[in-house]
Amino acid sequence: MRLELGYISVKDVKFGEKTELRDGIVYVNKAELLETIADERLAKLDVDIVHPGESVRICPVKDVLEPRVKVSGSGNVFPGFFDDAKTVGEGRTHVLRGMGVMTVGKIVGFQEGIVDMAGPGADYTPFSQLINLVILADKVEGLKQHEHEAALRMVGLKATRYVAEVSRNAEPDEIKVYETKPLQEQLLEYPGLPKVAYVYALQTQGLLHDSYLYAVDAKKILPTLIYPTEVMDGAVISGNCVSACDKNTTYHHLNSPVIYDLFEHHGKDLNFVGVVVSNENVTLLDKERSSNYAAKLIKSMGVDGVIISEEGFGNPDADLMMNCKKIEAEGIKTVLITDEYAGRDGASQSLADGHVAANAVVTAGNANAVITLPKLDKVIGYVDAVNTIAGGFDGALAADGSITIEIQAITGATNELGFNRMGGSVI
Amino acid sequence: MIKELEEVVDVPCVHICTVVPISLTVGANRIDPAVAIPHPLGNPALSPEDEFSLRRKIVEKALQALCTDVSEQTVF
Repeated sequence: MRLELGYISVKDVKFGEKTELRDGIVYVNKAELLETIADERLAKLDVDIVHPGESVRICPVKDVLEPRVKVSGSGNVFPGFFDDAKTVGEGRTHVLRGMGVMTVGKIVGFQEGIVDMAGPGADYTPFSQLINLVILADKVEGLKQHEHEAALRMVGLKATRYVAEVSRNAEPDEIKVYETKPLQEQLLEYPGLPKVAYVYALQTQGLLHDSYLYAVDAKKILPTLIYPTEVMDGAVISGNCVSACDKNTTYHHLNSPVIYDLFEHHGKDLNFVGVVVSNENVTLLDKERSSNYAAKLIKSMGVDGVIISEEGFGNPDADLMMNCKKIEAEGIKTVLITDEYAGRDGASQSLADGHVAANAVVTAGNANAVITLPKLDKVIGYVDAVNTIAGGFDGALAADGSITIEIQAITGATNELGFNRMGGSVI
Repeated sequence: MIKELEEVVDVPCVHICTVVPISLTVGANRIDPAVAIPHPLGNPALSPEDEFSLRRKIVEKALQALCTDVSEQTVF
C-alpha cells in the first residue's frame, strides 16, 4: 500500500461566514458546524478556538483529533463510521497540520484530562502546540455514561471530518510518501536489513475504555494484520476515557511516532514489514488468547525484531509482558514502550508486572510525578473536575485557582507511543 | 497489601485476583483466580442465582486456600 500524505500548514483558525481554507487560514462557519454535529443526546453544544501561548486551561478533555481527508484512493478517513468500511491506506490524504479538534464537556467517566495552552502545564502536553478547535458538549439529563461517550466520540469524528473537507483541493506545502508492500514482497525488499514489525496494543477494557478498528470495538477482535498507512487514514480511533497521560487520543493514532519513525528507518537500517493490532482485555483468558495470537502472527511474518507498545497502565502491563515473553520465546527480539507509576517519589515498583525477557524497555516517564499549575485567565469546560479525575484528588483545586495534580491528569503527558518530550531509557 | 500482611503482621492471605501473572509478580503466596477485572467475583452475564453460586465457589476456594500450607507460590 502506498499513501501520499499532503500536509497543509495551518497558519490560523478563525470563525468566518463560510467554512473554507484561504491563505493558509481555516475559516469555520460556527452555525453550520454546530448543525453538522448536532445530536439529540447532547444538550448544549458550543465551539471555541484557542492558540498556543494563550492563558487558557481546557478541562476535561476527552479526545483530540486531526483533520484529514481522502483525496484519492479507496474509502474515507475514519472508515466504518460514515461508510461501508472500505479499506483505506492508499492514494492521497490531505492533513491540516498544526490544528486539532478537541472534545470537551461535563465529565464522562473520571479519566479525562487537562490541556493548558500556556504556563508549566503546556510543556507536558503536545496539544498546547496546536491551534485547537474546541467542541464543548454537555449531555442531556439522564443520559447513561456509555451513550454519553458514544455521542461525544461521534461529535469529534463529525467535526473533524467537516473541517478536513476544506483541504480537499488545497495545494500541500509538503508531500510525504509511505509505502508497505504485500508481506511476501516486503520481506524480500531489503535483503541484509533486519526485518521489524510492530505490535500495537490498544486499550480495550470496556466501561469507557475502548478503541475502535474500522469502527469495530477492538475488544472483540483477535489480533490482526494492518498496513501502517491504514492507521494514518484513521483506521484506529479512540473511544477512551482512560487516564489522560497515557491514553492514545485519535490524534496520537493518526500521528503515532512508532509508525512514522519506523518509516524513517525503513530501507536504511531496518525493513519495516508491518503492524499487528492487538488489544488489552479484562479476563486472563482474553489476555492469554490475544498474546498467543499476536505471537503466532509475528512468528508467521518471519521478522527478526518487534516493537511492542502499551496503552494505559496496571493490568495492561500484563498484556505487555505476555506479548514480550511469548514473542521472545520464538527467538524474536522485542523492545517495549511503556510508562511508569512509581509513586510520587519515584521509589515504588513502576510496573504491575514484569518478566526477565523484558530486557529492553523505553519509558515515557513517571505518571505519579506531582505538579502545581498556576491559575490561567480562562477556563474552557469545568475545572472542578480536577478534584475527581485520575491524577487529581479532593482539594486539587486551590482557592487561588491553581491546581496541584499528578501529571497523570495531563492529556498525553506520558504517552506510550512516544508522542511527548519527556522520557528516558533503561537497557 | 498481601505482602505487608504476611510479612509484617504475620497473617496468612489469599489473593483473589483476575490477572494471575501480576499476582505472581507481586509475590502473593496463595492465589485464587477471579472472573474479570471490572467484576472479580461476579459475572453480569449470568442469572443472579448462577452468579451467587459462582461467587460462593470462589470464596470457598479462597477459604480452603487460607487453610492450606504452601511452600511456594500456589495458584488454587
